[in-house]
Order: sequence, then structure tokens, then C-alpha cells
Amino acid sequence: MSGTSFFILRSHERGYDKIMSQMLPSGAHAVPVHSTYLAGHPDASLIRHSSFNFHEYQNGIDGFGKIKVFGDEIFSPNGCGYNMHPHHNFIIMAFILQGTLTHINTAGKEGVVDMLKPGDYYIFSTGAGGKHSELNISPDESLHVIYVWLMPDKLYGTPSYLRSHFDPKTQPNKIVPLISNETSDALPVEQDFKVSRLASDNNKSYVYKPASKFHGMYFFVIEGALEIEKNNLEKRDSIGMHGFEEVNFHVKADKTDILILETIM
Amino acid sequence: MKKYMCLGCGFSYDEKLGLPDHGIAPGTKWEDIPDDWRCPDCGTKKSLFELVTIPY
Repeated sequence: MSGTSFFILRSHERGYDKIMSQMLPSGAHAVPVHSTYLAGHPDASLIRHSSFNFHEYQNGIDGFGKIKVFGDEIFSPNGCGYNMHPHHNFIIMAFILQGTLTHINTAGKEGVVDMLKPGDYYIFSTGAGGKHSELNISPDESLHVIYVWLMPDKLYGTPSYLRSHFDPKTQPNKIVPLISNETSDALPVEQDFKVSRLASDNNKSYVYKPASKFHGMYFFVIEGALEIEKNNLEKRDSIGMHGFEEVNFHVKADKTDILILETIM
Repeated sequence: MKKYMCLGCGFSYDEKLGLPDHGIAPGTKWEDIPDDWRCPDCGTKKSLFELVTIPY
């Protein structure tokens, strides 16, 4: 097929950042520096693997279509997280893989205090302005989340917060839309964008059809393995593809779990 | 319409409006804002703003 392109991003090739609540700079007169945006006790740490992030912030790839950030983050227990901070315009999504995310935000008339468990996900459209804080208040369990930031087409809209749940047990071996304007089963989004998830047994084949060949697709392997367009992907590997009318892929491990993002380019 | 958008938080700068609350007069061109200027909301550097064109 002509006019197609793709890139593969291996797990270890992603941007890596470890942020400490309290940094200890080297040198004879070193004084601990307390991070203002990271919550938690001094040893709290946040580990971020970024497929896409901002320019020099990390060495990940600089966005894909409307996706500006795609990151896989681990928050240590005991209150680690992001202190209350402002946003405008970006549409922020989080997909919980492990642990519990306590999410406090300013959407709606009264704001929201939400606790999200594995399989839960939210979409927070920050529009004209919103603030939020995201914390792992568990005493002993790390929190593992995938974050996605999307650029909206319309700026300064009304902020909104929606959340839902994906259960791999009730919907196995099926590409399930989580965020999409095509079905009322999924959460809507103010962008030409879609997120689907697949929890699959080994040795199954699938076809993914984007809305058009002008839509890019980004496949991220949360767990397991798959073969896609003659490329083998393993845990936390990913592939971005563009110009395809459809894509065939084959699952090559039990308990394979993948996230598929589709964006107008 | 063109705006300069902070990639750290989504804050945006419009040359026509300036940021009078932060000492930048309406009509100030982006290139006339000092290089060490930072996003008033999140502290992101000026170099990490991106020009966005919006259709309205």
C-alpha cells in the first residue's frame, strides 16, 4: 500500500524521568530542594516513561496527530502525586493499570473528588480553566497510570470531567471503544480522536479500521505481545501508523492487553 | 486566530490582548517578550510555548 508510514518505539527507547519530592543536589553546599509540584513525603518518587512529551522536557517523540503526551507513570505510595496545579485547554485522560488514583479537580459547579481503580479511566477537558491534584494515598501499593494529553480544536470551552470503566473479564477478545464519538457506550471527546482497548487470549487475529487513512493509529502494548505489519511488539513497545485503511494484527501471548489510540493527523 | 500555547499547562498568549496583569501591554509581539519569561501559571519556559492556529 502506498503512502503509508510507521514508526516503532521500543519500551526502553521512551523518555525516562524520575522525579523526587525532595531533590538532593550534589556539591559541598548542597541543600535539599523541595519540589513544589510533587506531593508526598521526601522520599516520594514518580517515574515517568514517555512515548510523547514536550520537546526538551523528555527525549520522547514530539507528539502524534493531536496527541501531545503519552506516558506511563508510577507513583510511589504514601501520598505521592501532583499537587493542585492549573491547566487550560488540554484534554487529559488517565487509564488506571494498578493501585488507586485519588483525583481532585475543579470541574462542574462543585468540583470532583474521585477514586479510580484498575480498569477505571477519566477524561478531563480543562477548556477555559481547571485545576487538579492526583495522588496515590495508599500506604503500601504503587499506582500505575497511563496518561494521554490531547490538543483540542476549540480553545476555552466549558471544562468537563467524565469517567468510566473497562472490564477485561466481561469483554475479552474484543476491541472495545473507551473514548469515542461513534458509540454511546464510550465517553465522548471534543476532537477527532478515539481510544480503544483489547484484552486478548493468545493466538487471535484482529483487524483495526481507522475512520480514514488520514487518521493515525498508535498501538501500545500494556502487557503481552503482538505481531503487527510484520513487526513484533512486546510489553510497553508501541507503534505509530499513518496512511492505512486497515491494519491486521495477531496476538502472540496470553493476557495481552493493548491500548489503541486513533487521531486525525 | 493565532495564540502561543504553553505546552506545560495549556495557558495561552494572545499578542492583541497581552497580559496586562503580568506587565505585558496589549499588542506586545511574542518576539518582544524576554527569553527568560516563563508561563505565569506553571513556570514553563517561553521556548516551550507553541504557536497554535485556531479556526475561529
